[in-house]
Amino acid sequence: MEPLTGMGVLALMGAAATIAGASEDLESDVGSQSNPNSQVQLAPQMMYPHRIHSKAVSGEPPSNALMCAIGGTTASVLVSTGASAALALAIGAIVAATIHGTYAATSYLGRSASQKRFKQPVYLDVMRSHIPVIMGYSFITTFCILVVSYLMATVLAHPFPLPLLAFIWGITVGAVGSSTGDVHYGAERQFQNVEYGSGLNAANSGNIVRKAESGLRNGIDNSWFCAKFGGPVTGLAFGMTVFLSGWITAVFDPSRGDAIGWVSVIAGVIIVLILILWNRNIEVAARKAYGTYKEDENEAEVAA
Amino acid sequence: MSAGGSGAAAEAIPQNNIIAFGVAGGLIGIYAAYFLVDIAGQYMSFIGALGAICGMIWGAAAVRRVASYGLGTGVPSIGMLALGMGVLAATFGLAVGGIAGPVLAVISAAIIGLMVGILANKVLKMGIPIMEVSMTEIATAGTITIVGLAVAMTGTFDFAVILEQVITTGYIAVIFIAGGLAILHPFNANLGPDEKQDRTLMCGLEKGAITMIIAGIVASVNEGASGALTILIGLALWYIGFSGYYDRVKRDAYDVVGSGLLPSKEELE
Amino acid sequence: MIDIAGILMDNILYVILITLGGVLISWSVHFVPVGGAPAAMAQATGIGTGTVQLAAGAGLTGLITAGAMMQITDNMALVLASGAAGAMIMISVTMMVGTWSYVYGVGCPPASAKVKYDPITKDRQDLYVSQGTEGHGLPTVSFVSGVIGGGLGGFGGSMVYYALMSIENGLALPDLVGIASIFAVGVFFVNAVIPSYNIGGTIEGFHDPKFKRFPRAVLSSLVATFFCAILGVLAIGGL
Repeated sequence: MEPLTGMGVLALMGAAATIAGASEDLESDVGSQSNPNSQVQLAPQMMYPHRIHSKAVSGEPPSNALMCAIGGTTASVLVSTGASAALALAIGAIVAATIHGTYAATSYLGRSASQKRFKQPVYLDVMRSHIPVIMGYSFITTFCILVVSYLMATVLAHPFPLPLLAFIWGITVGAVGSSTGDVHYGAERQFQNVEYGSGLNAANSGNIVRKAESGLRNGIDNSWFCAKFGGPVTGLAFGMTVFLSGWITAVFDPSRGDAIGWVSVIAGVIIVLILILWNRNIEVAARKAYGTYKEDENEAEVAA
Repeated sequence: MSAGGSGAAAEAIPQNNIIAFGVAGGLIGIYAAYFLVDIAGQYMSFIGALGAICGMIWGAAAVRRVASYGLGTGVPSIGMLALGMGVLAATFGLAVGGIAGPVLAVISAAIIGLMVGILANKVLKMGIPIMEVSMTEIATAGTITIVGLAVAMTGTFDFAVILEQVITTGYIAVIFIAGGLAILHPFNANLGPDEKQDRTLMCGLEKGAITMIIAGIVASVNEGASGALTILIGLALWYIGFSGYYDRVKRDAYDVVGSGLLPSKEELE
Repeated sequence: MIDIAGILMDNILYVILITLGGVLISWSVHFVPVGGAPAAMAQATGIGTGTVQLAAGAGLTGLITAGAMMQITDNMALVLASGAAGAMIMISVTMMVGTWSYVYGVGCPPASAKVKYDPITKDRQDLYVSQGTEGHGLPTVSFVSGVIGGGLGGFGGSMVYYALMSIENGLALPDLVGIASIFAVGVFFVNAVIPSYNIGGTIEGFHDPKFKRFPRAVLSSLVATFFCAILGVLAIGGL
C-alpha cells in the first residue's frame, strides 16, 4: 500500500476513534456506569435517595465490547449478503444500540429494586428520558468503532475478522473510558458540594450532589458537565491509542523488512518514554502549583 | 466496582436443581438441534439456542451464588473468566470429540473450572467455601452457552462447519461477549441487599433471549440453520423474560412511580 | 481419534511457550496500577478501573499489533516486541490522560499513600495525599510500573498467539488466525482474572506491598495455562 494512503486511513481511524472515545465516556456518564456508579449505589444506603440512572450493565469494557461485537456481527452478516458497507455499519450500530438500551433498562430497574430497604423508588421517567440518550451515544460509539475496525480489516488488511476487531477495540475503548473520563465524573461532578482540589474524603462517601441547576439532578445533567472535560479527554486518549499504535507501523512499514520493523518498535518505545517524561512534568508542575495538604511534622517541630 | 456482601445468598430454587436444569437442558438442546436439523430440516436449529439459554441461566445462578461472598473485584471478572475457560474447552471438545464433542467440551470445562477453583482457594487463599463447585459450574455453563449458540448459528457442531462459519468469520467474539454478559449481567444488575433469586434468573432469561436473537441474525446467512424462526422465538422469549422481570421489579421495589420527587425525610425514617 | 501423545511431543515447545505467555500475563497484571472504584473518586492511587479490564484493554491492543505483524514476518522476537509496544502505548496514553483528569479535572497532584518517598524520583508522597483518601493519581513510580505491566502483558499475549499460530496443522491461514486469536483472548482473560483475585482488585504498582504476593498468582496461572495449552495444542494440532 502507498504510505500516503496508509497515513490517510490512519488519520480517519484516529478521528473516528476520538469521537468514539468521547461518546463512550458521555454514554457512561448519562447512565452512570462503571466505578463512579459505586457512589450512586451507596447513596440511598446513606439516606440520600436520588434520581440518577444506575447503568450497572457491567464494567465499561465488557459492555462496550458487547455493543461493538454485536454491531460488528450484524454488519459482517449484512456485508456478506452484499449490502454496502456504510449501510451495514449503520444498521449494525442501530441493532447494538437497541440491545444496549435493554441492558440499561434492566440494570436501572434491578439495582433500584434491590434497594428496597433504603427506600429508593424506581422512577419510570428517569428510564424513559435516559435510555434514548444512552442509545444515541452508544450508536455513535459503536458506529465509530465499526469504522475503525472496518478500515483495519479491509484497507489495512488486518488478519482478524471484523467482529473480533470490533470486540477488541470495544474492550479497549471501555478500558480507556473508565480510566480517564470517569474520574472527572466520579471525583468532581458527583462531589461538587465539596471544595475543589482534593480526592473524595472517605467520610463523604455516598453524599453525592442530588440537586441540579434546575430541579433534581439526573444523568443528563452529568453528561452536560462532563462534556466540558471528561468526554473530550477520553476521546483524545482513545484516538491517540488507535493512532499511535498504528502510526509506528504506518511510518516504519515492517513489510519492507525486519529491520524497519525493529525501528517501528523503537519508535513505540520512544513515544512511551516521552509520555513518561510528560507525566513526570505534570506531576512536578501540579505539586508546585497546588502545594501540600498538610505540613511536614518534622519540619514543624524544628521550626517550633 | 467491588461488589457483593459476605455469606451465602438466599435461594428459593436449590442450586442442585439449577445445575441439573443447566446440564441436562443444555446438552439435550444441543443434541436435539443437531439431530433434528438432520431429520426435520434446518429450521430446528433454534433448539441449540434454547440449550444455550439453559446454560446461561445456570451460569447466572452460579455467579449469583459465588459473587455473594464478595470477590474483591467486580462481578464482571467472573463472567469473563467463565467464557475465557468456556471458549478454550468448547473449541477443544468440538475439535477432537466428533459426535461426543459437546460432552467432551463440558467435561474438559469442568476440569479447568475445578482446577481454577482449587487454585483460587488453595494457592490464592480466597477462602470462599463454594469456590471449587462454583468455578466448575461457571466454566461448564460458559461452555454450554458457547456450544449451544454455535449450534444455533450453524445447525451442527461438526467442527469443520463451526470453524468456517463461526470462528473464522469472527462471530465467536459475539458469542464470547454476549454469552459472558448474559451470565454476569443478571447478578450485577440486581446487586443489592434486596436482591431476589427469581428476579435475577428472569433477567438471565431475558439476556439469554437476546443472545438467541443475535444467533438468529448470524444463522440467517448460514445454509445449515434458520435465522427467521430463531429470531422470532428469541423475540417471544425476550418479551416473556422482560415482562416477567418487570413484574418482579414492581413486586420487589420500594415504589415504582411514573415521576416524582425524592422520598421525604419522614418517609426515610 | 487423534494421536494425542504424538501431537503433544511434536509441539511441546509451543505448549511451553503458551504456558510461559500465560504466566507473563499473570505477572504483568501485578504491575498495572489500578485503584478500582475508589480511584475513580480520587480516593486511592492508581487508575480508576478494574484490574482485569485495564490489563485486557492493553494486552488485547498488543494482540492487534502483534496480529498485524505476524502476517508479514515470522520473526518471533519482532512479533513479541511489537505486541509489547502496542500494549505499552495503549496503557501509557491511558495513564497520561488519566493524569490530566486528576490534575486538571479534579485538582489534586499525584501521590501514593503506600510509600513515603517515590522509589524512582525520591519525591515526598505523604504530604500530597489529601485528607481521608489513600492517595490519588499516578506518581512516576506507578506510571513506570504500569508501562512495564502493559509491556509484559502485550508480550505474553503475543507469545500465546505466536505459539498457537506456529503449531503444525492442516488449516488454511484464515481459519488458523480465527481459532488462534480467540484462543489467545480466552487464555488472556483466564490469566487476567486469576491475578486480580490475588491482589483483591487493587494495587499501586511494584512498590506496593501486595506486589510480593505475585508468586501465588504466577503458580496458579502456570498450572491453569499449562492445561489450557495442552487443550489448545491438541485442538489445533489435531486439525
